Amino acid sequence: MNTKRLTFCALLTAIALTIFMVEAQIPPLAPVPGMKLGLANIVTVYAMFALGPADALMILLCRVFLGALFAGGSTFFYSLAGGLCCYLVMLPLRKLLTVKQLWVCGALSSIAHNVGQVGMAILIARTPALITYLALLLPVGILTGAFTGLAAQFLLSRLDGKLKL
Amino acid sequence: MKTKSNRFWLILLGVVLAVSAAAAIYLLTRPSAPGDTALVYLDGKQVDRVDLSKVTENYTKEFTGQSGLTNTVEFGPGMVRVAEATCPDQVCVYQGWVEADGFPIACLPNTLIIQVVAAEDVPLLDREF
Repeated sequence: MNTKRLTFCALLTAIALTIFMVEAQIPPLAPVPGMKLGLANIVTVYAMFALGPADALMILLCRVFLGALFAGGSTFFYSLAGGLCCYLVMLPLRKLLTVKQLWVCGALSSIAHNVGQVGMAILIARTPALITYLALLLPVGILTGAFTGLAAQFLLSRLDGKLKL
Repeated sequence: MKTKSNRFWLILLGVVLAVSAAAAIYLLTRPSAPGDTALVYLDGKQVDRVDLSKVTENYTKEFTGQSGLTNTVEFGPGMVRVAEATCPDQVCVYQGWVEADGFPIACLPNTLIIQVVAAEDVPLLDREF
């Protein structure tokens, strides 16, 4: 990893963290625990396709840890479980999707994020009934995920070739 | 690996969306059974059980978890809600009154879960004998 690449990763982490912090200030869209736009995922999807899995993982983990540090740690384990599930689903998608299909990556990773988050909540609270929330989280997550994926897709197509790392 | 067409992904996502949305509509419109019991879980343990059909006047009770956050839970005739919370997101407060066995009230920062179930559906381990 050269200095330029490291700087670019740091920049993306800062952008992801900023988006994350700003989004945390928006009042809940619906009274459903865990439901949010997930705008910070734009950066993860972009990093996965533009930089590769290793850099994407570093950016994701840094954002989750720093996010917990800045926004209060109460949701750290949910973010971590969701983020890692999201990452694991994105890994094979890198080979399965074209650069014009990042919206699919956004939607599928959003599903994975919700499943990981609810799974962690069930583990922590030991209340299997929380699984009912997936019925609300998934449809909304697919739509917001497709949107954030599309945002990453536009970003990738506009920055493609202009970036010499 | 081979890439798939947009149509393939649209159908896949559409099916997941339709199934989960149908489940959500079912859960939201399910009628409430009589004799509903409110179960309060804090940090993974059941800490309170209230027969909501026997509540005649509203009363509140505070629950403080390991996180140090406090939820003020209000019990009413046949319904329950989180009236106040010291958590940052207030999602549990916005969830409002819950009457039926649908979605549990959840305060994830404080790991407080309130589930409303029919009396005969109280989990076996949590019953008093």
